[in-house]
Amino acid sequence: MHRRIAIKNLALIIGGAALLPSCVHENGKASVKLTNLNISADQEKLIGDMAETIIPKTSTPGAKDLQLHLFVLKMVDDCATKKDQQAFMTGIGQFNDYVRKRYSNSFSDCTVKQREQILLNIEKDKDPKSSTYSAELKTFYGAVKGQTVNGYTTSKYFMTKQVVYELVPGRYNAFYPVKQKQTA
Amino acid sequence: MANLNTDSIKDRTFDAIVIGSGMSGGWAAKELTGKGLKTLMLERGRDVKHIKDYPTTNMYPWEFEHRGEMPMAVQEANPIVNRCYAFHEDAAHFFVKDKEHPYIQDKPFDWIRGYQVGGKSLLWARQTQRWSDFDFEGPARDGFAVDWPIRYQDIAPWYSYVEKFAGISGNKDGLAELPDGEFLPAFPLNSVEQYFSKHVKSKYGRHVISARCAHLSKPNQIHLDQGRAQCQERILCQRGCPFGGYFSANASTIPWALKSGNLTLRPHSVVESIIYDDKKGKATGVRVVDANTKETIEYYAKIIFVNAAAMNTNLVLLNSTSHRFPNGLGNDSGVLGKYVAFHNYSAHISAQYDGMLEWTTDGRNPAGGGYIPRFRNLHKQETDFLRGYASGFSAYRWKQQNWDGVGSDFKDNLAKGELSPWHVGSHMMGETIPKEASYVKLDDKLKDEWGVPLLKISMDYDDNDAKMKKDYIEQLTEMFTSAGFTNIKAESDNRAPGLDIHEMGGARMGNDPKTSVLNKWNQMHAVNNVFVTDGASMTSTSCQNPSLTYMAFTACSADYAVSEMKKGNI
Repeated sequence: MHRRIAIKNLALIIGGAALLPSCVHENGKASVKLTNLNISADQEKLIGDMAETIIPKTSTPGAKDLQLHLFVLKMVDDCATKKDQQAFMTGIGQFNDYVRKRYSNSFSDCTVKQREQILLNIEKDKDPKSSTYSAELKTFYGAVKGQTVNGYTTSKYFMTKQVVYELVPGRYNAFYPVKQKQTA
Repeated sequence: MANLNTDSIKDRTFDAIVIGSGMSGGWAAKELTGKGLKTLMLERGRDVKHIKDYPTTNMYPWEFEHRGEMPMAVQEANPIVNRCYAFHEDAAHFFVKDKEHPYIQDKPFDWIRGYQVGGKSLLWARQTQRWSDFDFEGPARDGFAVDWPIRYQDIAPWYSYVEKFAGISGNKDGLAELPDGEFLPAFPLNSVEQYFSKHVKSKYGRHVISARCAHLSKPNQIHLDQGRAQCQERILCQRGCPFGGYFSANASTIPWALKSGNLTLRPHSVVESIIYDDKKGKATGVRVVDANTKETIEYYAKIIFVNAAAMNTNLVLLNSTSHRFPNGLGNDSGVLGKYVAFHNYSAHISAQYDGMLEWTTDGRNPAGGGYIPRFRNLHKQETDFLRGYASGFSAYRWKQQNWDGVGSDFKDNLAKGELSPWHVGSHMMGETIPKEASYVKLDDKLKDEWGVPLLKISMDYDDNDAKMKKDYIEQLTEMFTSAGFTNIKAESDNRAPGLDIHEMGGARMGNDPKTSVLNKWNQMHAVNNVFVTDGASMTSTSCQNPSLTYMAFTACSADYAVSEMKKGNI
């Protein structure tokens, strides 16, 4: 990556991080203050690695740069139903067990290829009565995936550098040629 | 002490009192102060100053803690207001929360309220159509409610008057059922909306027009004089607009009234009742409970405008009892609180269109798209139900993000996206029939923390509404099918009345004091210095949006009230 771009990105991240980790990092506890979920540092790391697998750092910032795993936790903690929060917590454990059993390793110690495969396999299993994945594991994965992508596509980085959100000045062109849109 | 008291009474005496500061109250204040009357405006909620008190107005999407979504704890604590389409992180502070102001649902009713200066005029959907004689002659022709005491020609000049000041965008469409007004340029239909418009006109003789809305598409001097500027097409209106791009009491009528030097605005003022003097045979003032201190204070005036919003106006009048009016102010007829009604919004329909792929839109349309004026039972009764419905119609494409997958290619594709085919949608806006059995009344025992009785609400859909909804779904499905739309999905929901936020009636206008509360000037038949010009005054509901009509009634009524005062008749 060009240094100048890297610095620019870093500035964006620092400027845009809505969810700064709390200053005091208690041993074994998650770094973000949560009300309903009891998340350990290990679990936070797992979610961070999952988010980074979904939105990896490339020439542009990835999930960890954008603190998307903390956004995932915030959203599940504040906006999910009690039932989904319970499923989320059960699902973390089941996810860990499944990965260990299948890959003899923790998710974080798997290769990037393996990690991607693990997540894609869950995602592709649309069978509601799946024998491989419990409903809780799917709820857990669905929340991590959904909120990681939600957090990414609504992040300041994405909305100022990828698909630019314009607050003002506005306009409304009712007839706009698609060709023009594609080259815009 | 005597002197002090006299001074105090003097300080609490005005020419006019306006109860409520929203859509119609703002107009009452503007008109009365403009005619030189020292006016007191009472608002039960807090003050919301234009721009200054719009805390979210310039926030970017990523600046919202939950990206707009309401936390589950708030949703669960507020099942009623949470059902409102605009109750999100960016505007939740302008809505009454369920527990703050309880009411009793004798039948399910989602009462959506905005208790603050400006009221719901901050939050409204800004659709503004005139009513026509198909509406004002409706009850007489179709035999329900009572005859309206006015016709279109009585109110037409007042529509023009308020439109010029508020700023209404639209086209002169030349439709008798939707009379033209004083328009700023319309927001145009897009390619598929225009295609559909041409199609239904040639095949059915029906109309799809640019939705008329209270946005400054191209401001005139009068709008600039209000400190307002051109609409910036942000479509973040529910947050309050720093440009004053749409009409709200906060951006328009209230600052105008304040500029006159004749307005005293008193927020945190819960009106308990209107004071009636049996000897004078007039209302002499209002009794207010300070929302914070709970102190009771009386204010006095020569005329009183009641603009508390339909349901609360009924509440205030019902709670204003005296020797002369034991059942509520001006309620000789016994109809006060009865014949309330609403709009039926409980059906919508969506589809896809595979044509016009060379076109899309750029930017955002504040008008929301197209409007299909009522076409049912217009010139004559032609169905097995009374009255009709208007419909929204809009077509849109968006950049689809593929959310399947993980990794760097997935990430790159999120930014690229692919333009979707055209999707189209319509929603029903049905007129409902005011009935004696539909009512609001006061609870005998339960009071709120300001000592005001709780309101009991009872209204419901009837057989006419069910038949009308069935017809809407059939007609729109047929129109969509014949236009070549595919994947047509009609959906009927079982929402309670109220979510339309168009509750009306209870203190209706009419010619006969035995069957109505107000005369053709929105003046009480029995108390000539009390005027009701909000939704409570409506004799029937039309299927057009009502706010513009409240504005016109208010301006007309204020003009009449002041001329009567000058003549010494009030």
